[in-house]
Amino acid sequence: METLVSVFADTLLITLVLALAAFGLAIIYGLIGVINMGHGAMLTLGAYFTWWSTRHGLPFAPSVLASAFTVGAVGLGFEHLIVRHFYNRPFDTLLLTWAFFLVATEMIKILFGTDFRNVTPPLDGAIDLGIYRIPAYKTLVGALSILLILGTAFVLFRTPLGVKIRAMVQNREVASLLGLNVARMYKLVFAFGAFTAGLAGGLIAPMYSVDPYMGNTFLVRSFFVVIVGGVGQLLAGTLFGSFAIGGLETVLALFSDQVIAQIAVFFIAVVILRFRPQGVFTGR
Amino acid sequence: MTMEVKPGRDMAVASRSRMALIRGEDLAAIVVFALLAVIPFVVSGYAVYILPQYMLLGVLAMSLAILWGYAGIVSFGQAAFFAIGAYALGLIMKYATLPVNVAYVGILAGMIGAALIAMIIGYFLFSAGVRSAYFVVATLALSIIVEQTVKSFSTITGGWNGLYVDRMTLTLGPFLEMSLFDDVPMYFTVLAVVIVAYLSVMTVMRSSFGKILVGVRENEDRMLALGFNVPAYKTLAFGLSGLLAGLAGALYATHASFAHPSNAGVLFSTQVVIWTAIGGRRSLLGAFAGAIIVASLSNALSAIKAIQNYWPLIQGLIFIAVIVLFREGLAGLIETIFRKRHHGRAT
Repeated sequence: METLVSVFADTLLITLVLALAAFGLAIIYGLIGVINMGHGAMLTLGAYFTWWSTRHGLPFAPSVLASAFTVGAVGLGFEHLIVRHFYNRPFDTLLLTWAFFLVATEMIKILFGTDFRNVTPPLDGAIDLGIYRIPAYKTLVGALSILLILGTAFVLFRTPLGVKIRAMVQNREVASLLGLNVARMYKLVFAFGAFTAGLAGGLIAPMYSVDPYMGNTFLVRSFFVVIVGGVGQLLAGTLFGSFAIGGLETVLALFSDQVIAQIAVFFIAVVILRFRPQGVFTGR
Repeated sequence: MTMEVKPGRDMAVASRSRMALIRGEDLAAIVVFALLAVIPFVVSGYAVYILPQYMLLGVLAMSLAILWGYAGIVSFGQAAFFAIGAYALGLIMKYATLPVNVAYVGILAGMIGAALIAMIIGYFLFSAGVRSAYFVVATLALSIIVEQTVKSFSTITGGWNGLYVDRMTLTLGPFLEMSLFDDVPMYFTVLAVVIVAYLSVMTVMRSSFGKILVGVRENEDRMLALGFNVPAYKTLAFGLSGLLAGLAGALYATHASFAHPSNAGVLFSTQVVIWTAIGGRRSLLGAFAGAIIVASLSNALSAIKAIQNYWPLIQGLIFIAVIVLFREGLAGLIETIFRKRHHGRAT
């Protein structure tokens, strides 16, 4: 019973954390079709900015927000300078965003050094469920992850802006003929994806040690989340994909060590990619 | 039908100038390899030690150019095959006692092992039509899987500490037995293997097989419609690429006396993409030279304190510049210069 509850709680938390980490990638890929290979670097940037500002005396919450806005601004700049010229050459955007990863990682190394850094969690302790204690900070992050996804859903489905974005996703040409400023929408979506990645990076910083390559495994896991959940299935897809990838990792880690579990999950994800490249639940 | 005459004629003109350029590339290859052959007579010491490693990185870049330049497939997992070659040789030399030269068996095992794994993964993915970005992600995962596997089986592979690999001995029955412990014989052995590898790959790529791959790159659907078994051709190309990367990895391990999990890593894999992009994705020789130039440059610059930390950053910026401005890399740049001169004389 105890293991059952603990596996359930762990899976739930890892699902939500992973969903948070993958959400920025899901937004950019799902809405404007850009495979953002710089997503991992954006997470890392968010984590480092958070580490830097908390170290300079800013409280945790404003640090994370400031980091998210900074990463969003970096993403906006990158989009404006480079990415927007390549929207009709998807593979080049992949290579260019990968170059963003290279450049951003090197900037991080130069600005912040290569040592492992730690961010103190703003919430200590755990919430006692009687038979199992779940870590308080992870729970908070999980709750924020749900809030972020619900908030995005609200914007997409209940506001005029959301209507415009969905129109653009459905048919770019017609949307632009109807007077929609598609270029500005793309810019907005890209910046919001970067903002989300920065936010996620800041929020997960206290759970892991911060190093220049921390985003790498998150990049690949995020991809598999998006692929398993189905591209464009922003909300339910991201949650389901995270549940599949994170849950599998948790369950497999019970029987073997963490590393083997991750190898197995990547292996399974590649198999899923082969048989259901459009996601597990989406129809062809 | 009459509409097709004009493109046909253009094609003929293009292929004639293409022929001239192929001859140009042969000439360039002779120059590059001759230069590499002369170097040990001119300089000694560190350059002679390190250049074979760079040549092998060049072979690794070539293994990507086969895919990227000819078949239009980009793999972010070339390092995985390199590491498979390196560890196959290292482990066989460490654990196996055989009546024949263990190093030969190790190199062959590395090549065949890498090629087989490449073909299995390749067919698995290509037969379902997994392309471009998804293939990149799958190969990226492959890199991580191989790196993590090597790390976690540390009792056999030495894990994060790496695996010590002896310098191999060259044998030829009763006629020859030569240790490659010294750098000069090692240098010429590697150079000879590299030249043979280049010529073999070039021959394959100039055969109908290479032309079919170019067809796949240009228009996959049309090749399918023409009845070509596109997944099979892609699989073979990926297998050849794995074979070459495995060879490079095995020789690299015995040259460096070391195999390390980072040989399979994501960073190393993407370094291969950078070399190939800078050297020229469409040219085997360009990719080969690109790797040597970039690797030498990073080595030379890392000695200078002021630039040391900035070099990877500069490299990233060069990579961006190549994608945005010079899609064909150095090889393309040189080709354009020669073509302009040629045209200048013609008119």
